[in-house]
Amino acid sequence: MAFNKKIDEWMEEAEERPTSAIAIVKLVANRLRELTERNEELLAENIALENGTRVDEYRKQIAHLEYQLDLLKRRLAVDDVSSIELPAIAIVEDATLRILIYNARGRVFHVELNEDVKEVGQIIGNLVGDDEPPRLLAVPSNDEISLLFTTGRIETHPVSNIPTLELGGKWDWDQGALPNEPHAGELLACIAPFSHLPLSDFFLQISRRGCANKNMTSMAQSILNNHYIGKGALQKSDQPLDLMLCREKDIAIFVTYEGKVIAFDVDDLSYTIEERSRLSATDYVIASFIAQPESQLLCVTQTGKVIHRESKSIDTSKSSTAKGKALIPPSRLEKGVRFVGAAAVQDGDQVAVLDATGRLRILEAETMIGAGSIEADGLVLSIGRIPADSLKRAEG
Amino acid sequence: MSLKVGIDFGTSNSGVAVHDGQRVKLLPVDPKNVLPEVIKSVLYITKDYRTYLGQEAVENYYRDNVNRQRRFVKQWAGEIDVYGAEFGHYVDDVYVYVDELKPGRLLQYLKTTLRKDNYNGTQIFERYYSVGELTRTYLSLLKERAEDVLGETINAVTLGRPVKFSDKPELDHKAQETLSEAAHEAGFKDVDFELEPVAAALYYEQSITKPENVVIFDFGGGTLDIAVMRLGGGKNRKVYASGGVDIAGSDFDRTIIKKRMLSHFGYGNVKHYPEITLMINAISDWMALPEMGTPINKNILKKAILAKVVPVRLKALEGLIYNDLAFTFYNRVEAGKIALSSEGATVISLEDKGIALWELYTRSQFESDIHHYVTDVEKVLLDTIAKSGLDVEEIDAVVKTGGSSNIPLFTGMLAKIFGAEKVKESNSFSSVVAGLAIKAFGSNSVV
Repeated sequence: MAFNKKIDEWMEEAEERPTSAIAIVKLVANRLRELTERNEELLAENIALENGTRVDEYRKQIAHLEYQLDLLKRRLAVDDVSSIELPAIAIVEDATLRILIYNARGRVFHVELNEDVKEVGQIIGNLVGDDEPPRLLAVPSNDEISLLFTTGRIETHPVSNIPTLELGGKWDWDQGALPNEPHAGELLACIAPFSHLPLSDFFLQISRRGCANKNMTSMAQSILNNHYIGKGALQKSDQPLDLMLCREKDIAIFVTYEGKVIAFDVDDLSYTIEERSRLSATDYVIASFIAQPESQLLCVTQTGKVIHRESKSIDTSKSSTAKGKALIPPSRLEKGVRFVGAAAVQDGDQVAVLDATGRLRILEAETMIGAGSIEADGLVLSIGRIPADSLKRAEG
Repeated sequence: MSLKVGIDFGTSNSGVAVHDGQRVKLLPVDPKNVLPEVIKSVLYITKDYRTYLGQEAVENYYRDNVNRQRRFVKQWAGEIDVYGAEFGHYVDDVYVYVDELKPGRLLQYLKTTLRKDNYNGTQIFERYYSVGELTRTYLSLLKERAEDVLGETINAVTLGRPVKFSDKPELDHKAQETLSEAAHEAGFKDVDFELEPVAAALYYEQSITKPENVVIFDFGGGTLDIAVMRLGGGKNRKVYASGGVDIAGSDFDRTIIKKRMLSHFGYGNVKHYPEITLMINAISDWMALPEMGTPINKNILKKAILAKVVPVRLKALEGLIYNDLAFTFYNRVEAGKIALSSEGATVISLEDKGIALWELYTRSQFESDIHHYVTDVEKVLLDTIAKSGLDVEEIDAVVKTGGSSNIPLFTGMLAKIFGAEKVKESNSFSSVVAGLAIKAFGSNSVV
């Protein structure tokens, strides 16, 4: 419709109902103000383009992308493929293995691991507060991580940008880095490795109440541009627990506080938020992960008891009402035994264990399984898997 | 005494309300809706038989369908008897093309299926759902929502029903039987019915002292229902005639989109791109739009944008189809329409994901856009009054209810026919369900 005709129609309205004239003038004036502001922004953008500052920004972005590409190349071990020629990269560091210890307030301790040192350090002061226990994540130093907040906000950071702390030290949460401060009313739900995004097919979110939400990684650009992936939860009171990158045919497992294990095929999920298990009112998910068929499911109770099962022995469920496989017998449940951590471990993996005294140390997964328990100074708070392949990669 | 609620199971929208003896509480059963007390009468059943209703159903339908792959396979649907003058009679196989990757079925107009003579149910993937099962599924989900809001179990219900489900008494009886059985199966132990126009006029009836001839003008989101009644206490209550037409709020929204919004998405500028024209025309139909969100269409749009065919507008079209913005857009249009019931001018705008839509819309523009509906509505109204055997002068009051009855064009039409003093306003969005809740409370106190 020609704009002039629209103006004629507005005039008609003003003539028919003179009171509308005031409303029309106000609405048009507001629009004019908005357009003037936008015009100013565009002119500023134009100036930035003309004087080259925007070009510098794009150059930096390109350098960062090249760095990511190089990272991928290393992961795929295609260095010797002569057909793939990559531009020289300014900064290439030797990757080392790092551990991130983080709490719901967004504080992160970043420590470089050393193969010989098993006592990583100790957290002093108020270890847990009113929040969930701290969580642990092992990543190579050249990885990129995503921070998912309870509101569904997502941010990414290179691991190398987070200041490191000395191995074997004593740390107070006030010393922890704050790579991205939670906004008012939100908490840090999880930190997840992110740099193998191009090799993944889906984002998979697991919520505390057992909901799963699958998104295609082709949506990554939109998600990252908007800094928003969503809560991945059906109920308002529910919160996101984990974000994982996974591939087609992967089997996802989650383990609950009251000892239930639910496995499901990622391909069976639709692209909507789905409740994957009917949890009891007092139960919630404490850990979720992608399990390889040859892996062992390792679960740890608060008293340090280790329960393990072969991952392939856990049947995948197709039903949303599945109650899952119970790993804690009812008699033990009645006595208050609960899971505090779980992971799918493979040969050569290590496990970082944080206990209630704040002590963080590294144990061999095989030793834990063999002994059937962990000797801890206090109650176990959380565990984190250190994959054998990341150890090798970091060494290499 | 068990908890009893009133449920208005409407063709397009439903609602649940409870009366505590002093006031009616409309339950916010659809927090995702613009009006949480109103829930769309739609049901979405996924391939793994998960069920959703209301706005959640619509959102899941969108999420599952936008940007998904389609794969059409030929499937045997049944046999057909073919009769011809020259070749006689033979039986032929019928095949249909079915999208085997379809993630779910969205079902609407569940209430209409109750009165259909030749419709008993539908196949949803591997399972056959009868009309009763579909209704039961919807009612049990609605009951669960209401129980979540109230925090207690609901055992009984007063359901609204039209004056006539069908002109054929056997179909009318069958429809109520099916609805009653579905409600029982959904978990309501005690089920009774009240005529929707009676429920709509319950507030008004309580205010009159002597019997009156009243026209109930229930003009909501999906249909216009008219009833000519004698009100004034149970004994004197009588329905003289009822009628209706499938014109209502959603038609006005569609008209606004067609006449005022499509140009923002390239309408009129892409005549040589039939696929894109198809996508633009689908905007006015919320059910058709997600079907447009295929990877092939995305490619077509991208190519056209690169070729600089009205790139800004086509970018907006891409943003609308592929960015889950369709419902924000429909809500803005609806909000603009509602605003024009009280304002002379409003702005319908949407600025997100490449869309920069701004449309100043006046009441006179709106009235000119929907003027052709007035004639149809007026005709149905006068026909219903004629059917009742009463003259217009014998009508004592017109009780208007439903959101669309607030549109000044229709209020003016009623005032012109009956006189402004006879036109009474009931609570626009809740009078039927509120009346049902009052009835439920009244009948429950003697259970």
